[in-house]
Amino acid sequence: MARHENSIPIKGFLETSFLDWPGKIASVIFLPSCNFRCPFCQNVTLVLNPQCLKTWPLPEALQRMKELKDWIDGVCITGGEPTLQATLPDFIRIFKKRNLLVKLDTNGSNPHMIETLLKENLVDAIAMDVKAPLEEISYARLTGVPVDLKAIKKSIDLIRKSPVEKIFRITVVPEMLTEEDIYRVAEDLYPIDKLLLQQFSPENTLDPQLKQETPWPQEKIEEVQRQVDQILTDRKTKPKDGLQKNKR
Amino acid sequence: MAHLQEIKPEKPYTLSGSETTDIALFVRTSSEDVSSWNRQKIVDALVRETYIDGDTAEKVSAEVEEMILNSKTKVITAPLIRELVNAKLIEKGLEQTRMMHTRIGLPIYDVDQLILHPNKENANVPHGPEATNLTLAEGIKKEYALLSVFSQDIADAHLRGDLHLHDLGFIDRPYCSGQSLEYIKKFGLNLPNSLSNAKPAKHPEVLLAHMVKFAAALQSNFAGAIGWDAVNLFFAPYLVGMSDREIEQLAQMLIFEFSQQAVARGGQAIFSDINIYWEVPKHFEDVPAIGPGGDFTGKTYAEYLSEAQRFAGALFNVYKGGDGTGRPFFFPKPLVHITEKFFQTEGHNNFLNHICDVASEKGNTYFVLDRGSTAKISECCRLSFKLEAQDFADAREPWRMRYCALQNVTLNLPRLGYRSNQDDTVLFSRISDAMALAVKAHEQKKVFIEKLLSIGEKGPLALLTMNKDGNPYLKMNRASFLIGMLGLNELVQFHTGNELYASKDTLKFALKVIAHMHLVAKKLSEKHHMKFVLEQTPAESTAYRFAKLDLEHFYPEAHRVVKGNLERNEVYYTNSTYLPVSIPINPIERVRKEGLFHPLIEAGALTHIWLGEKRPAKESLANFVLKTFRHTTNDQIAFSPEFTNCNDCGKTERGLKDRCSYCGSQKVEGITRITGYFTKISSWNKGKIGELHDRYRNQEYFSEALDQKVIPVRKVSNAE
Repeated sequence: MARHENSIPIKGFLETSFLDWPGKIASVIFLPSCNFRCPFCQNVTLVLNPQCLKTWPLPEALQRMKELKDWIDGVCITGGEPTLQATLPDFIRIFKKRNLLVKLDTNGSNPHMIETLLKENLVDAIAMDVKAPLEEISYARLTGVPVDLKAIKKSIDLIRKSPVEKIFRITVVPEMLTEEDIYRVAEDLYPIDKLLLQQFSPENTLDPQLKQETPWPQEKIEEVQRQVDQILTDRKTKPKDGLQKNKR
Repeated sequence: MAHLQEIKPEKPYTLSGSETTDIALFVRTSSEDVSSWNRQKIVDALVRETYIDGDTAEKVSAEVEEMILNSKTKVITAPLIRELVNAKLIEKGLEQTRMMHTRIGLPIYDVDQLILHPNKENANVPHGPEATNLTLAEGIKKEYALLSVFSQDIADAHLRGDLHLHDLGFIDRPYCSGQSLEYIKKFGLNLPNSLSNAKPAKHPEVLLAHMVKFAAALQSNFAGAIGWDAVNLFFAPYLVGMSDREIEQLAQMLIFEFSQQAVARGGQAIFSDINIYWEVPKHFEDVPAIGPGGDFTGKTYAEYLSEAQRFAGALFNVYKGGDGTGRPFFFPKPLVHITEKFFQTEGHNNFLNHICDVASEKGNTYFVLDRGSTAKISECCRLSFKLEAQDFADAREPWRMRYCALQNVTLNLPRLGYRSNQDDTVLFSRISDAMALAVKAHEQKKVFIEKLLSIGEKGPLALLTMNKDGNPYLKMNRASFLIGMLGLNELVQFHTGNELYASKDTLKFALKVIAHMHLVAKKLSEKHHMKFVLEQTPAESTAYRFAKLDLEHFYPEAHRVVKGNLERNEVYYTNSTYLPVSIPINPIERVRKEGLFHPLIEAGALTHIWLGEKRPAKESLANFVLKTFRHTTNDQIAFSPEFTNCNDCGKTERGLKDRCSYCGSQKVEGITRITGYFTKISSWNKGKIGELHDRYRNQEYFSEALDQKVIPVRKVSNAE
């Protein structure tokens, strides 16, 4: 197993998750560091102090996945931001070689890596977290850093055009995003099939102030999700309108 | 039996042969009149109720009379007189006579407490006058059972906590019953002693009314669960031509009717199960269907697949919505059978997603995994019966398919461990002895129930003797007798030093214990010509009772293994063959390892996956259920979310909260599964509260952020 010695350090390993890949049972691998500082981030240690987390030996993770092979459909590579790791393609190959499906979680800040992974057929699904409407001020507010929106848009475009399973998600942060913002994101992302709303959780947030915030009630999320679904299907049936907005 | 006697000085009465006293005794009898003191009544009672000879009885009564006269007591009650007689009997060494002459009753203080405070032994009993009646009656019947139905060695074993005789307060009823709608579809609602009889139903709503009433009638004749086989299929011939809206309306009526029955006996909801199939089960395919009016429709059940499926879908639509305030329905519990044929039946993917959606949102769904060619009917918390050759013959005429278990006796496994000094041979022989004792208890209950049944339609169990198809309703020759187990984990922990899941060896040892019990049950069945089967006892209160008794009587052994919070007295043993509820183990490992025991537990077994707040995607749960079916020997799984219901604003949210997230009120009520059913947590006993604190809710598997994931203990081995 020595050949894996120089692999990316695994900073968290969950042998099976029922949430991270909808419909699938997947192992989850957490990779260190992130270029964003989203105030609502819940993987604080992983983002700010990954050196404080134990590194999981890759062979141990692989062994466990082998034992659970009847149960696991694939592996989710998440973070932090996995696309920051230059050797990510090689890392993913370790799993592809074992006939596992691979899902990548990304914030879309590194379209080059996404392009490479797609080109080499290394991913079966990509979940991209869109943080805010696609304009600089909103994005900077929700990510805590200045963001190159061109890169984000490039990633969205790459994913949209790719043949893999695609999941676009947005975390509903109270007081930072309004219903209107969410609808705008849906418009901005079109044409996509689904924009998945994720509940905000006030536990262990990067910005301690957010621990005071109350998440939207479940019914409100469900209602807004319905509206979002409606927007996306409406756009499909009125393609002209869609083209105009895309040009904007 | 009990004459209330009072001393009333204002009405002088001279006792025979004693002119010195001016005390007058008047006797207020149980038939609420007042008669004079008559010593002969003591003699009569003794001669009538016991085997004492007349002269001794005379002597005892005279001595008691003298004692009463000498006392300065101003008020004396009949129970006291009877106890004075009993005291005399003890003085004379007449122990057998005293036992026969003893009385059963409750101290005033206890009755006061019962009327004022809720019963915590069974969380399915809300508080109220009906519930108090139930508890009082149960109290008397329990004592009666221990004194009069069971021999002293059995009663003592129960009282010591070596074993637990379940539902002693319902000693004069069998334990649980499973049947299909076909009986009432064919024979109508035509019950002994009822004020009016109904012919077979012509309309679905009437069939539903008959079903609910029959369930209520059965509830008054059984101690526990009432299960219904293939409910969606047997309703189907009545649903032809109905719109989706109408079918959903009927589904809603069915679920509300059963869930709101808590206004009936003892204020208790009928513990009811409905079995649901997506496919037409093989054994019903070619069976002629009974339709409106109790007539054969000329079709077979295979031809009603579409109606049966629509009804199944509608039932789960209703479960998904929950009750008027969004709470999960507590009853009836829907048991969906997952079989090979399920996967061969069109639309199974959508249906599986639908019931998994309900499991994730409301938790109602039970997934019964019937692998291979076994077919099962399930009832009670997890009780199920495997269909045998005779059953498949009966299946041609499904109204004949009636099953019951007569009684459940649970063994205190950890205690057997404490008494065996870590010696395997001693332990296994003690297990065999304990099972022989359980069997003796079953025989005694059987004799008692047979006595009641033999009185026939004038007897207390007339309903169970009604004979409409050549057999009495209760088929004694098909009855099962359940032997449950409690605290396998703690037994293993005490005996080997490690808990059940700790290594391959401990798991293997645990399996050996249950395999031994399985084998002994088989042997005893042959010997006694009765069907003894192992069951995972729900042990709602027994887990607490055994732990408490062992902490008192087995120091320091029990202190080393008992679970829960000792300081707050919230102690319990791990249920049946379960892995401890607290270990942060992958749910996959849990269904796999717990499933290893299931084939040995013929009367049914279940694995709980506690969900807490999280709502996993229905597709992921469906995936999990499918893989559990394919890759394990697990019999049944259920996912249990938690809820908080606000008493002020009426809203329901997920998770257990101290205050309502909508209105901030602290008048909130937690709801989740106690054992095999949902209830309000405020009604739980201390042992269960202790368990609730410990429950591992699989949060790391259902949470997306690393910082919220408690990374599991790595050394949970992968023993098979």
